[in-house]
Amino acid sequence: MALIELKNIHKFFTMGDEKIHALNDINVNIEEGEFISIVGTSGSGKTTMMNLIGLLDLPTSGDYILDGVKTTAMSDDELSQFRNQKIGFVFQSFNLLPKATALKNVEMPMQYASAYNPKITDEEIRKMALETLDKMGLSTRVHHLPNELSGGQRQRVAIARALVNNPKILLADEPTGALDSKTSEEILNLFEELNHQGVTVIIVTHDNKVASRCRRILRMSDGVVSEEKKA
Amino acid sequence: MIMRKILINSGEALVENKMRSALTMLGMIIGVMAVILLVSVGTGAKRYITSEFESLGTNMIMLQPGKTDKKAGMGPPVSSSKGKFTMQDVEGLQKRSTTISAISGVMFGAATVKNDLATNNINLLGCNDQFIRIFNMSIIEGNFFTKEDEDSGRRVAVLGYNVRQKLFGSDNALGKLVKINDSEHRVIGIIKPSGDKMGFNMDDMVFIPTRSALRLFNTDRLFGIRVSAKSRAEMDESVKEMTEILKERHNGEEDFTIITQVSMLESMNTILNMLTYALAAIAFISMLVGGIGIMNIMLVSVTERTREIGIRRAVGARRSDILKQFIIEAVVISVSGGLMGIIISMLITYTLYIFLPGFDMRPPFWILPPAFLMSLLTGVIFGVWPARKAAHIQTIDALRYE
Repeated sequence: MALIELKNIHKFFTMGDEKIHALNDINVNIEEGEFISIVGTSGSGKTTMMNLIGLLDLPTSGDYILDGVKTTAMSDDELSQFRNQKIGFVFQSFNLLPKATALKNVEMPMQYASAYNPKITDEEIRKMALETLDKMGLSTRVHHLPNELSGGQRQRVAIARALVNNPKILLADEPTGALDSKTSEEILNLFEELNHQGVTVIIVTHDNKVASRCRRILRMSDGVVSEEKKA
Repeated sequence: MIMRKILINSGEALVENKMRSALTMLGMIIGVMAVILLVSVGTGAKRYITSEFESLGTNMIMLQPGKTDKKAGMGPPVSSSKGKFTMQDVEGLQKRSTTISAISGVMFGAATVKNDLATNNINLLGCNDQFIRIFNMSIIEGNFFTKEDEDSGRRVAVLGYNVRQKLFGSDNALGKLVKINDSEHRVIGIIKPSGDKMGFNMDDMVFIPTRSALRLFNTDRLFGIRVSAKSRAEMDESVKEMTEILKERHNGEEDFTIITQVSMLESMNTILNMLTYALAAIAFISMLVGGIGIMNIMLVSVTERTREIGIRRAVGARRSDILKQFIIEAVVISVSGGLMGIIISMLITYTLYIFLPGFDMRPPFWILPPAFLMSLLTGVIFGVWPARKAAHIQTIDALRYE
């Protein structure tokens, strides 16, 4: 059984008087452990696709089965719990809390996790956050605020935050969009390494160079998805 | 997320925005201070007036001629035409009543008092030798008049302290003559100054025997009768007893009013409680303003932190987690403001009390729990709307919010 199953997904938006068919009959399966990219130009529907896969948005029709559970019938609270435990987000603009230290940023998802699982103690949260930051090579930057870190460091804090709850999926939206090429390379290497450790990595990007690093590419165009064979 | 963590997070969020939190808190501090200080003023005034009343003389009962149908209160107007007390009424009560320890008919009027040095328009009070006991007065020079002075209506006078100073300055006053409405009286004593008591200042008065006063004003009609009951427990009985005696003397007609200190205090307390409630209502308005301040800041804060809300939702916060977070931030502001308000108003009133012991505005302790609870409630009430707004922000929009 696939980790992610998208069946006959449609998504409509109304913008003013215009009705936009953002996703048109999407049928995609993604297996556990895949390293996949979703590419497309702006307006192609890739962001909508990412929001759906990340459970930030719901399809107008169709079914989304994540890890064997039909998410399209879930309540808002259940969706929150799934986001918390199955998915780690990495954003183009990092989306760190500006007034919280790297450590606090990384601890945050675990604090919400402790609401679902009261057995998680503060000590475990602290330990796990520190370990994850250490894995990202940030053990000396733990108590720094985001604006005291470089772009690459910030993105690594964000990745640490995405990984701290041991999610199955790492969902990255233009993760290198705000980084220079050398740092981008480092971040992509990091994704590759994480993928080798078993995390399913999905990168949403418009950058073909980034996409070419992935083993599988889904190309979006006008709300329709097509599998792109790697050259 | 459990409450304790949200509380810690809220605390951190407030520290991150020190200036804004402090200003918002200020509204709450002032609100709570207003509640406590105004209620303190109310109860302080009540305490002051009650103690003034009690210093007028314990167990004091006032008998006034005339009758109004309204019960108790402050009695009928002084010039009431119906009913009349005479010296015979005083003697009758003195002979027959078993519950009184002192009784004096009183005559009250304005008179000119002069000697070689000065002339004064003063309040003259005619009373007997027992009057000094009814009103807890004491003598600092000479003596008060005796029963013989009273019975024979001698032309003697006891001066209030201020009158003595005006007429004689630093000279000796005892044994000197003063002219009261052209009739010469000999000064035999000086009253110890006691200050203003409910608008009556004994220090500004001249006391002469009742009979001398009646002769001076050429009347047999007393202004009233003042009685001191043997004990507080016997007050009610005393009132009943005197009513019977006087009715008998006045052909069965109750053409007089008896006022006890208790009934005066009661009607006074009613007024003072109203005052306290009115002040509390005013204070409540300032609390409301503080609450609106909190709501305003929280709304700003929610908008400013839209992106933060998006991030929190993306990593797994439920709507209820966001709701709790913002309500608790509002409550933390209001409660810390409330606590500071309580502490500051305690500091102010106690400092005042230490340096000006007569100015006792210490807040009554019963006001502290409600003041605290009100600040808590204000935080909850005015925090709910911004928090609900925060909880219902769409995550995908919030993540892209600039």
